[in-house]
Amino acid sequence: MKVSFILNGEPVTVDVKPNEILLDTLRLKLNIKSVKRGCERAECGACTVLVDGRPTYSCNLLTVQVEGREVTTLEGLRDDPIVKELTSKFVERGAVQCGFCTPGFIITAYALLKSGKELTPENVKKMLEGNICRCTGYKKIIEAVTAAAEALKK
Amino acid sequence: MALTEDPYTLISKWLHAREFLVVGKGIARADALDKALGTAKFVEDYFQEGMLFVKQVLSTEPHAKILRIRDEEALKIPKVVKVFTAKDIPGENQVGYALPDQPLIAEGKVRYHGELVALVAAEDIDAALRAAELVKVDYDPLPYVLNPLEALERKDVLVHEEVGSNIAFRTKVRKGNVEEGFSEADVIVENEYRTHHQDHVYLETEGALAIPGLDGRLTVVTAAQYPHLAQSIIARVLGVPASNIKVVVPFMGGGFGGKDDEGPLTAAKAALVAHLTGRPAFILYTREESLRMHPKREATIIKYKSGATKDGKLTAIDVKIIHDTGAYANRGPFILWRATVHASGPYEVPHARVEGYCVYTNKVYQGSFRGFGNPSVQFAAEMQMNELARKLGMDPVEFRLKNMLRPGSRTITNQLLEESVGIAEAVEKLAEKVNWAKRRAECESFKGRYRRGIGIGVAWHGISTSRGVPDWSNAYVKIDKDGSVSMFTGIVEMGQGSPNSSHRQIVAEILGAPLEKVKVVFGTSDAPDAGATHASRGTSIGAIGVLVAAARVRERLNKLAAELLGCKPEDVEIKGGVVRAKGTDKELSWDELIKQAYARGVDLSATGYFFLPKGKFNDELGQGQAYPAFSYVAMIAEVEVDTWTGKVRVLRIWPALAAGRIINPQQVEGQIEGAAVQGMGYVLMEQFVFDDKGRILNADMTDYIVPTTLDIPEIEKPVYVEDLFKYGPFGAKGVGEMALIPAPAAIAGAVSHALGKPITKLPLTPEAVYFELRKGGST
Ligand code: FES
Ligand code: FES
Repeated sequence: MKVSFILNGEPVTVDVKPNEILLDTLRLKLNIKSVKRGCERAECGACTVLVDGRPTYSCNLLTVQVEGREVTTLEGLRDDPIVKELTSKFVERGAVQCGFCTPGFIITAYALLKSGKELTPENVKKMLEGNICRCTGYKKIIEAVTAAAEALKK
Repeated sequence: MALTEDPYTLISKWLHAREFLVVGKGIARADALDKALGTAKFVEDYFQEGMLFVKQVLSTEPHAKILRIRDEEALKIPKVVKVFTAKDIPGENQVGYALPDQPLIAEGKVRYHGELVALVAAEDIDAALRAAELVKVDYDPLPYVLNPLEALERKDVLVHEEVGSNIAFRTKVRKGNVEEGFSEADVIVENEYRTHHQDHVYLETEGALAIPGLDGRLTVVTAAQYPHLAQSIIARVLGVPASNIKVVVPFMGGGFGGKDDEGPLTAAKAALVAHLTGRPAFILYTREESLRMHPKREATIIKYKSGATKDGKLTAIDVKIIHDTGAYANRGPFILWRATVHASGPYEVPHARVEGYCVYTNKVYQGSFRGFGNPSVQFAAEMQMNELARKLGMDPVEFRLKNMLRPGSRTITNQLLEESVGIAEAVEKLAEKVNWAKRRAECESFKGRYRRGIGIGVAWHGISTSRGVPDWSNAYVKIDKDGSVSMFTGIVEMGQGSPNSSHRQIVAEILGAPLEKVKVVFGTSDAPDAGATHASRGTSIGAIGVLVAAARVRERLNKLAAELLGCKPEDVEIKGGVVRAKGTDKELSWDELIKQAYARGVDLSATGYFFLPKGKFNDELGQGQAYPAFSYVAMIAEVEVDTWTGKVRVLRIWPALAAGRIINPQQVEGQIEGAAVQGMGYVLMEQFVFDDKGRILNADMTDYIVPTTLDIPEIEKPVYVEDLFKYGPFGAKGVGEMALIPAPAAIAGAVSHALGKPITKLPLTPEAVYFELRKGGST
């Protein structure tokens, strides 16, 4: 069946199976590779995308459910100032090891920073709780997000 | 004048360098931005629809004869190409690393619930999934054994009949006379410890893509920690020469040892289908398959007796280590050796007896995982140290320091440690930083529902392979005409960062080339074999070859520059792209120097083979040189225990490391923090639940729980003691595994302190702690 939605600002129409998850449509049909497959069970956050601006696990959504909606991935945000700040802080602070979780963290953190909420280490931790990283122990990720928020305030 | 090519001379020359351009600095790694943007490529990113998709059929019995595999129904599904079983393997169906006991695809019988029985290849993922469900296997169930203590006794149920018992392997250490040692002891502590399986849960599951004919060979893109090992396993399974196989390991989404074991097997599965069909074939494990199939951290039973005199000197240890290796030995014998020779902890003990047993059971098999047999035995050794200190009325840190290894000490294998033993200094500094005695007393003042405790774990970890097993390093460095530098290594990039941080820094340091001109090509079997990326050796051993190759080229550049600048070769300075005669203003640019080298016939390419010198080791007595050097680590943890619910929170962790030169402090911190949290997960929450057929019931990330941002403690800056290792690159020793090894001891020690009870069993889940608290009367 055909599904139409907005992907990174551009309208797309794809032919999908009724049981196809958005993660597969993005990776296999739309060449969106920043979205990673970690568990396919809504547990790890590696597949996080924005649906209408909200961080969402793309493995936990059928593609037919995004009909008419706006889906954003890192591919569409590379020139965004918030994402630029986040990626540069992740690099500078050593928050990237294997990097498999990183795009998911950046997307989630982007939504947090975009929301304009007051940032404390506690709510950064809360916000990132749905993203698993098995390499870094999270410390440098939390530092990078907090540092990016600081830098953007200026 | 002849140029120095000798690796020993070059290693020593750079070991003694005093000033550094980039070594020792927290330089950002070369791959970080691509990864953050999601453009760095992992195995699955190379898959395209139209390639064959491979799905696995797994055993549903713990131990059974395979009578028949019926694929008629599966083959009726449109787009299904073929079902492959053991009989389709053209080469050897033998993939055991330490012992020849393991098939790639089960043959004749299955030995655990979850073992690979058949592979299904289809044009389409859904078709492969449906077909895999329709492959019917007729089993004749056999009696099975799940408990290693029972397996040791039983002769009627044998996981491997040909062995004649369920003991896969035994190890021994015999030093002095333990009976005499215990007779000199004033206090003796005897306990039995139990530790459990742990899964790596690398965020990227196992995958491989095999493409026939690419680059003139069968090229396999896979996530394996040792491309050359994957190459040789594939060649063996297919029955072709290794030179017909190329293995490329792109960025890997975590390994932690798991992809050292499972990686080559994953690659072989894709390669088999590609080889037999002549088409590109792709396999990707689901998380459930990954959790059910790949080898786990060993589950252990450790019986430990130790004695000390009243002035706090250890006199003897007597240790029996039982590893539940599951269905296959895999690397179990190596894991057991490592546990056996490290059984004392980093202490001097005059009399030691250690017995190790690697025992088969009908469960998922054990394998490599950060720490490799050492976290469990260091946990037991350190809990013993706590109990001895308590009985002696001594402070646990003070007691440890009285027995700690120092330069001049002998280990339990009677290895003389001449140098590079910085642990005592690290522990002293750490205790001071933490204000140990005061903090410990403060913890004891918490009396209500929430109790506090503080614990210390001190550990050691041999660098390189155990005993006399050969180990080497190599790399290839070349400079192109435009002045750009490439370095090729078989070391992989699985997150640890050695190629993209320390290797790159070492090349830039030695050549004096600008960092941005240095490009690292990693993880390819086309690079010289540098050994595996495991055992914390990515930098400590892997970069020795890098150093030697770069240093050879540097000697030639010095000679050329000396001629061009009219100075002595030893007076040539190359820094950040400028070549200068020391103390003069005569200079030329890097690019000009390289141009001249091409014009004047100077070879700007070199390899850096180095064979690590090793001493003798007697396997019968477990005596001799166990490792060329050891890395050391200490960790102090403070915890809070909720006595109502049994929940433990780790509040703070203070690490200390004596691992030689710290080449990149930021990356080392990252390794320490990641390992500490992985170790905390192991102690507090990670656990498999097996049913009565040995099936894993929680093979998903919903019920196998790993730490999230909400679970983590504060992790303080590490204390470093740079106790240089003479063959290490710039004196570096291993780092990657280190902080996980003392974590069980430190955290369990803190819980024990909070509860006022010894801890002998992991994990410390809320229910375990809750019942522990209520054992033998209420609290
Ligand atoms: S892959 Fe979607 S949450 Fe893990
Ligand atoms: S960096 Fe590897 S999972 Fe986060």
